[in-house]
Amino acid sequence: MGEVIVVTSGKGGVGKTTTTANVGTGLAKLEKKVVLIDTDIGLRNLDVVMGLENRIVYNLVDVIEGSCKINQAFIKVKGYNNFYLLPSAQTRDKTAITPEQMKKLTDQLKEEFDYVIIDCPAGIEQGFHNAIAGADRALVVTTPEVSAVRDADRIIGLLEANEIKKTHLIVNRLRMDMVKRGDMMSSEDVVEILAIPLIGVVPDDENIVISTNQGAPLVGNNTMAGKAYMNICKRVDGEEVPFLDLAGKGGLFSRLFKKN
Amino acid sequence: MNNAVVIKGTTYGFSVYVDEQAEFATICELVKEKFKESAKFFGAAKMAISFEGKRLSDEEQRELLNIIAANSEVQIVCVIEKNGETEELHRRSLEDCIQEQQLQALDSSNGQFYKGNLRSGQVLETETSIIIVGDVNQGATVTSKGNIIVLGALLGNVYAGAGGNENAFVLALELDPVQIRIADTIARAPDKVGKALWKREKEKTKEPKIAFRSGGNIFIEPVSRTVLNDIKL
Repeated sequence: MGEVIVVTSGKGGVGKTTTTANVGTGLAKLEKKVVLIDTDIGLRNLDVVMGLENRIVYNLVDVIEGSCKINQAFIKVKGYNNFYLLPSAQTRDKTAITPEQMKKLTDQLKEEFDYVIIDCPAGIEQGFHNAIAGADRALVVTTPEVSAVRDADRIIGLLEANEIKKTHLIVNRLRMDMVKRGDMMSSEDVVEILAIPLIGVVPDDENIVISTNQGAPLVGNNTMAGKAYMNICKRVDGEEVPFLDLAGKGGLFSRLFKKN
Repeated sequence: MNNAVVIKGTTYGFSVYVDEQAEFATICELVKEKFKESAKFFGAAKMAISFEGKRLSDEEQRELLNIIAANSEVQIVCVIEKNGETEELHRRSLEDCIQEQQLQALDSSNGQFYKGNLRSGQVLETETSIIIVGDVNQGATVTSKGNIIVLGALLGNVYAGAGGNENAFVLALELDPVQIRIADTIARAPDKVGKALWKREKEKTKEPKIAFRSGGNIFIEPVSRTVLNDIKL
């Protein structure tokens, strides 16, 4: 029996979809059976980030409404044997499905897959409740900004209230140079406020923008963000991986100074 | 004529005095009139009612209750019989119940515990004093009629002495709230002009502090024996 993981944040634009795409792809690279579900009905874009937009025929709402079979709506991700995307509908809204229907769907899918990863929409309304309905655990994504951290705090409270106890934190778009100058919260500062275990820190990396625009997740490649995402995937899968030294690329001297 | 029906308020509701000589039809008319007049005053209160004076049959009482229900928002919880032992019993149990509630509300030396972090958007309200084992984050609110003690960081909004108790206090291991209210006094955190909002002023807040009200102002001081000696429960 697999696990249903919801990727959520409260605030928009902090990297939920990017994280869903990269964590999903990374787990597929680790030879897991993975399906991604985009629950952002009406603002569909996980398919774009995955580079699969042109293959969409049926979507999540069609499956829930019984207009098609679930296998017809699955889009197989290029280059993997057991990696699928269930895209969202673009012409409907969040009220097209209910939390009960979502739970039924994810319960069914986790029989078949190792990981069912749900991309949650921003906000705390119906879309959020749909996304978390069947989740066993949550990855809470935040950037090191007060507004994003505040919304993440609210989301963690709502997850707790909905009996989702296994929640992990991803701090996205961290800039070590700013942290060092004291101009940005460090991941430790964020963890101190949110008080949930940290599962990964992703540096602010322009390669993310490049890979997103190309529709090819960068997880597992040689960029800092690619490594960070791969480490997150391994930790999600239960492996213990040390955290990357994000400040480490400053060369020998900065490394020497850091140790002192 | 108009005095054939008199409504009197009591501690547990109201009693309707009915003149012995009055006709039932007149009584009905008067009850209707009086309750219509004072419908606004009573609002949707839940009350007990008793009938005095003229002895009314069960059926007559029921009819009067229907008239009251039709002409005001008042919810009659029970009818208390004026002439019987039961009346004393009803009165006593109702009074006991009210007294207990009042006592609890006034008594800030009574308290309860809450374990866990209060996160943005979460609200904790208590009738008694509250001890929170965990943090109160920014965006969270704690309201208590008594005192508030936080065994953790207090960064959100707190309102102690919400019932008007000016002696209420707030104590936290790390006291850096957005707003503190005690009774009718409000204090807010100083503006952080040109400073990052996320920076916690640890050097200033690392020791346990207590906030109390004195002379219309809220003071925050490190917890010391002299300050604790001044606490009134």
